[in-house]
Order: sequence, then structure tokens, then C-alpha cells
Amino acid sequence: MQTRPLRITAYTLCSAAGDGRAATLAALRERRTGLTRNDFGASPISTWIGRVAGLETQPLPAEFANWDCRNNRLAWRGLTTDRFIDAARAARDRYGAHRVAVVMGTSTSSIGASEEAYARLDPDGRYPADLRRPIIHTPHSLGDFVQYALGLTGLSVTVATACSSSAKVFAQAERLIRTGLADAAVVGGVDSLCGSVLFGFNSLELVSPEPCRPFDVERRGINLGEAAGFALLEKQAPRGEWLLGYGESNDAHHMSTPHPEGVGARLALSDALARAGLQPADIDYINLHGTASQKNDEVEAKLVADLFPATTCASSTKGWTGHTLGAAGIVEAAISLIALEHQLLPGTLNLRVPDLACGPQIQRDNVQREASHALSFSFGFGGSNCVLVFGRDR
Amino acid sequence: MTLRVAIEGVSFWASRLPGWETARAVMTGEQPPPEAASTRPSPTLLAPTERRRAPDTVAVALEVAARACEAAGRKPSDLPSVFASTHGDLAISDYMCSTLATTPALISPIKFHNSVHNAAAGYWSIGTGSLAPYTAISSYLYTFAEGLVEAATQVVCEQRPVLYVAFDIEAKGALATMASSRGLLGAALVLAPVSQARQHRSLMLTTESVGECHPTPARSAAAPLVADNALAPCLPFFEALASSQPRTLSLALGRQMALNVQVN
Amino acid sequence: MSATQSAGERELAELIVTALNLEGVAPADIDPEAPLFKTGLGLDSIDALELALEISKRYGFQLRSDDENNVRIFSSLRSLAAHIEQNRVTA
Repeated sequence: MQTRPLRITAYTLCSAAGDGRAATLAALRERRTGLTRNDFGASPISTWIGRVAGLETQPLPAEFANWDCRNNRLAWRGLTTDRFIDAARAARDRYGAHRVAVVMGTSTSSIGASEEAYARLDPDGRYPADLRRPIIHTPHSLGDFVQYALGLTGLSVTVATACSSSAKVFAQAERLIRTGLADAAVVGGVDSLCGSVLFGFNSLELVSPEPCRPFDVERRGINLGEAAGFALLEKQAPRGEWLLGYGESNDAHHMSTPHPEGVGARLALSDALARAGLQPADIDYINLHGTASQKNDEVEAKLVADLFPATTCASSTKGWTGHTLGAAGIVEAAISLIALEHQLLPGTLNLRVPDLACGPQIQRDNVQREASHALSFSFGFGGSNCVLVFGRDR
Repeated sequence: MTLRVAIEGVSFWASRLPGWETARAVMTGEQPPPEAASTRPSPTLLAPTERRRAPDTVAVALEVAARACEAAGRKPSDLPSVFASTHGDLAISDYMCSTLATTPALISPIKFHNSVHNAAAGYWSIGTGSLAPYTAISSYLYTFAEGLVEAATQVVCEQRPVLYVAFDIEAKGALATMASSRGLLGAALVLAPVSQARQHRSLMLTTESVGECHPTPARSAAAPLVADNALAPCLPFFEALASSQPRTLSLALGRQMALNVQVN
Repeated sequence: MSATQSAGERELAELIVTALNLEGVAPADIDPEAPLFKTGLGLDSIDALELALEISKRYGFQLRSDDENNVRIFSSLRSLAAHIEQNRVTA
């Protein structure tokens, strides 16, 4: 069965760079970063983060109290931005609640709630009463909440393949629609700041003490961020950008280091282009994974320099949002869609002197130009790679 | 909608049901469960560097993954894979949460990189050298059925065999009161397009929107041995496979969504 | 034949075997002058981070990953034990 293009009839994102598409576009245009000095938790490590403001004081509506936690609050923020929830509910009414699948990506889901429980165990070593809610202490917390909040009853899955999670959701949803198990799908991803990722990445010495500088020769590592993003995929619709293809692969190399020649990433790319029926020269913009870790950026820069013509613009937008881990796929998919919609190809914040591996494709400055096709790259721990292909609404 | 796929290989592992042959015989009543519990399988396909770092999730997942490929006569590196686990590595989650509550700066980098939900899938791809895509999913109470649907969907869409691996391990510490799971349980299948099947057993999977799900209960003597593992909802499916006769059963895909399974 | 381990080297060898879960390696059998990484015990960069963490917990000082002497310090059990002896805070 051939991969069929799907319409993206609604999409949104919330990150440190702003709530919603308009705010994100403005931040991109004005090259305004969302990164701030790390102030998360009681003993913050020395780094910068992409923190979404106000989540602490905005509990979920009472009807969703069972799911209340930072990650699901961020999910709710995303659902209620850009009227995404209205589009999703309209799809539910159009197709039936059981015919709209939910496929969510996350890396740590609501583990922050479990961390909080451990910090406040009662004298008998039990969870504090307010956190005795099993659903928020399991990875599917996110998918379950989104499905319930949208009033859907069909398939509902949480994909957790580290930093490729919410890119792979597009592939899984496309298959569900292609086989007829669903008529439409709400895809997306949410990851929120928590001790596990801040101290975990710090233990691997991957965290930068300064604002991250993707592809810069003096880059010093990643900044962690949090974000939510969603997209509504439908088989047929009069308008909307296109999901034209996707490619998935693995490195089969190491749990926390990319393959030095990017073998898996290249496979994912060729699979994605083949499904979309496109050549590298057809690609106007690539939103790179570009975490600002030493190894990722080196491998990725070389891949782009090897395979794409100089006319392709490529950049990392992590300097705006930080690395939002399991949400990075959807956040950067949404930024790629914004780029196509507004013909604004974002550059790379904090890039001063490009790494020697960089070709002419990697842009420091924003570029305003005609663009029809965009790629988004996501590469994760465990060697999981995913490349998405998007086409402009026409 | 209906998906039709062939079953090329089956495997199963729990400490009192170590391997599909034993599990099958206990499920059909041909033999009683072994008295003694087996020790955790060793992920022998990993190189020493990965093997010594492999936690229980990886050990049990790789054991059943390798056995299912063996049973199917398929080279592991040729197969895309779907890894499903309700809670992922509960022992590492407990470690991370307790360390963060006391000495956050002393998080173990090895434990952290093993904490991702796709650790078992990642180790599998490293151990087998497979560049074929894997995914790692969770769907709480519905994990096994949702993973089965994803694996069958991949078979039908891509017209190639797919390895499906499901596992859950024992919860530790305070987290055990919220995410309850006991013992190790793993199960795996190699599914293939019906036309390419080298063996004859096949599955018809049909989703059905229902008022309330009433999944088929587990009935065999194997049930009590794994009933308190988070993956226990998979048991009726394997009981059906254990029988040599065609069987039908229903698994829950959600509160109001059933997966009707016909095993031929 | 491997050279003889000192008491400090033996203690460190035990820490390495336990922290990194080295299968089939007896602490007493680690040659104090053989390379720890790659060819020797087959350790890699993430093992180095794990080891640095365990050493900081046991001996009370931080091994810095950006120390330009790391190649020398981590070259063998003997050199690492000597570095610990010079820098340890806890007795």
C-alpha cells in the first residue's frame, strides 16, 4: 500500500518562544529567543532553559482534575491555543468519536509528578494524597488525557522513542488512516521540564552553561526546553498543508551517541524522500535536529553538506525553544509548516562561526523566499531517527 | 476495519513460564506450571559493553524478541519492530525519583540513558545491527492490544514481516503503589503478510466501537502466575494461540473500543 | 603476568567492577598498568562518566571531564589510583 499524502487541517504549538502560531512567527521574525537562565527546581544546575510561563498557577479545569500535572497542563495550553480544540472536536463530530485516533509523542510524559511525589512522601513512605492518581505516573498519561479532553474514543497511543517521539506520530497516524482504522488523527507531543532530564542530561555532560549555539564551532551542548504541539491529519480536506512523506530508521550504534557517519539518518531521509516522490533538490527548507551537542551537529551538518544542493536552506531553531525532547518533533514540524505558510525560512540563533562540517545550506540569518517543500529531522537516544516531509498548501 | 496477518513466530517468558513451549503446555493443561522460578534471562546477543548495562526490561524484551525471530526463521536485522510496555522501566523510574529527591547531582549517567522508554528497542537494534525502524509505545491498560494493532498495521502497509515485543517488569519503591506490576513478563510475535507466510496460523483483527469493553478473561492455569504483571491483559491472546484450534477473543483497545481477534 | 596491585589500586578495582557491573572480571585480575579504556577493560566514554560519579561519591572530589590530563589520568588503574590518592578528600 502506497503512502498517501494527508492534509494538515489544523496545527498549533506552545513553547518558550511563544503560545501559538502567530507568537511563534513573530519570535522567529524578530529573532527573539525564549531561552532564559535555568531557575527550575530547588537547586538549579548552571544552564539555560526554554520554560513555558505560568503553568504552576494554571491547574486543569475541574473535569480533568484526575490528569492534573505540569505535563498535562502544558498539553491543555496547547489544545486551547489557535482554537485547535475546536478543530479537533469538529473532526470528532464529522467522523465520529471512535474514528479519530490520538497518537502522542513524549519522552518523559508526567514523570515530574512522580518526582514531586517522591520529594513529598508521607512518613510511611507513601505518596502524598493529592498525587495518588495512577494515570499521571505512567507514560500514557499524555495520550489518555488528550483523548479524554477531546472526547474521543478510538485508538489512543503514546509513542516514546526519546527525541524522535512526536515526529514518529505522523508515520503511525498515516498508517492508521491508510489501513482505514481511523479517518483522521490528532497527532502531537508534549514534554515538560523535570529533574530527570535536567540532572540526567547534566550527568552525561551534554548541557550547555550558556544559551545553546547550534552548529557553532564553539557550541557547548544543549539547553532543555518544554513544549506542546498538535496537528490534525485528514485524508481529504479542501485546504491545509500536506504531510507528503516520512522516513524512519535506527542507527544500531549506541544508546546515547549518534552513528558517526549518520548511517541511520541517511536511511530515514532517503525513505522519506522516496515516499514523497521528491529529490533533495526539491527541498527548500530543512528544520534540522541541531541540538548543539558536539556529535549531533557534526554528523547532521556533514549529512546535509553531502546530500543537498546549496539552494536548500537548513537551520536549527533550538536557539528559540531549547531542546524540547519528545516534543521536538511536533514543535519543529509546526515551525516547518509556519515556514511554508509564511515563506519565512528561519535561520539559526547564536550561530557565529559555523563548524567546519557545515556546508552553505546551514543558515545563520532568516531567509524570506518562495518555498514549497520542507523537511524536519528528528534523531533520538537509542538511535531512533525520523524525517518528515511537508508540502505547502496548494 | 479488519487487518489480516500471518503469525510466523511466537515467544513468551515469565519466571514460572520460561519459554513458549512451557507456557503453551501450561495454558492447554498438558502440564502443570514448574515449581521453581527461573532466573532472569541473559541478553546474550549483546556485546559485553551493552550486556553489563542492560536492565531487566532489556533482558526480558530481548529474550522474547530473539526467540520469536528464531521460531519464525527470520533474521532479526531484517525486521522492523514494535516494542510495547505499559510502564517502561519501573525500577529505573524509582531510582531516578528517589535520587532526585535526595541527591539530584548524583544521577547515574548509565541509569539515565537506560531510562528512556525505547531502551529495550535501542539495545535490540544495537545487538542485532538492525537499521530497520523500531517504535516504542505505551497505552496504559490497553498497551498489548494497541501494540498488536500497530505491528499488524505496519505489516499490512509495508507488506513486510514485523517483530512485535511486549513486556513489563516489577515495580519498585513508592511508585509500586501507583504503577503496580510484579515479576517479569515478556511476549513476542513475528507477524507477516498473509501472502508471504511460511506458516499457516493467521490473525484477523477487527476494531469495534462498543458501549463498554468486556475483554475475554484469562482462564488457564497460567493466568494466576502472571496476573499481577501490568502486561497480564495479553494472556487471553496467548491462551488462544496455545490451542491448536481456531479461536476468537476480544481485547480492550480503550474504554469503549474493542479489538476482536480471530486466531485461525 | 600482571604487575601487583597496591591496596589503593585494589580498592579502586573493586569500585570499577561493581559500578560498571563488569561480568567475569575479578578485581584482583585487573592489570594495574593495562589500559582501562577500549582495548583493556573495554570501557567507553559513558563508563568514564559513571566512574567519575562513583569516585566523587567515594573519595569526595570531582573529576572534571574538561581536564586536559584526563587521557593520562584514566590511562590505567595505576594512574587513576595515583590521581585519587593525591586529590581525595575523604579518608
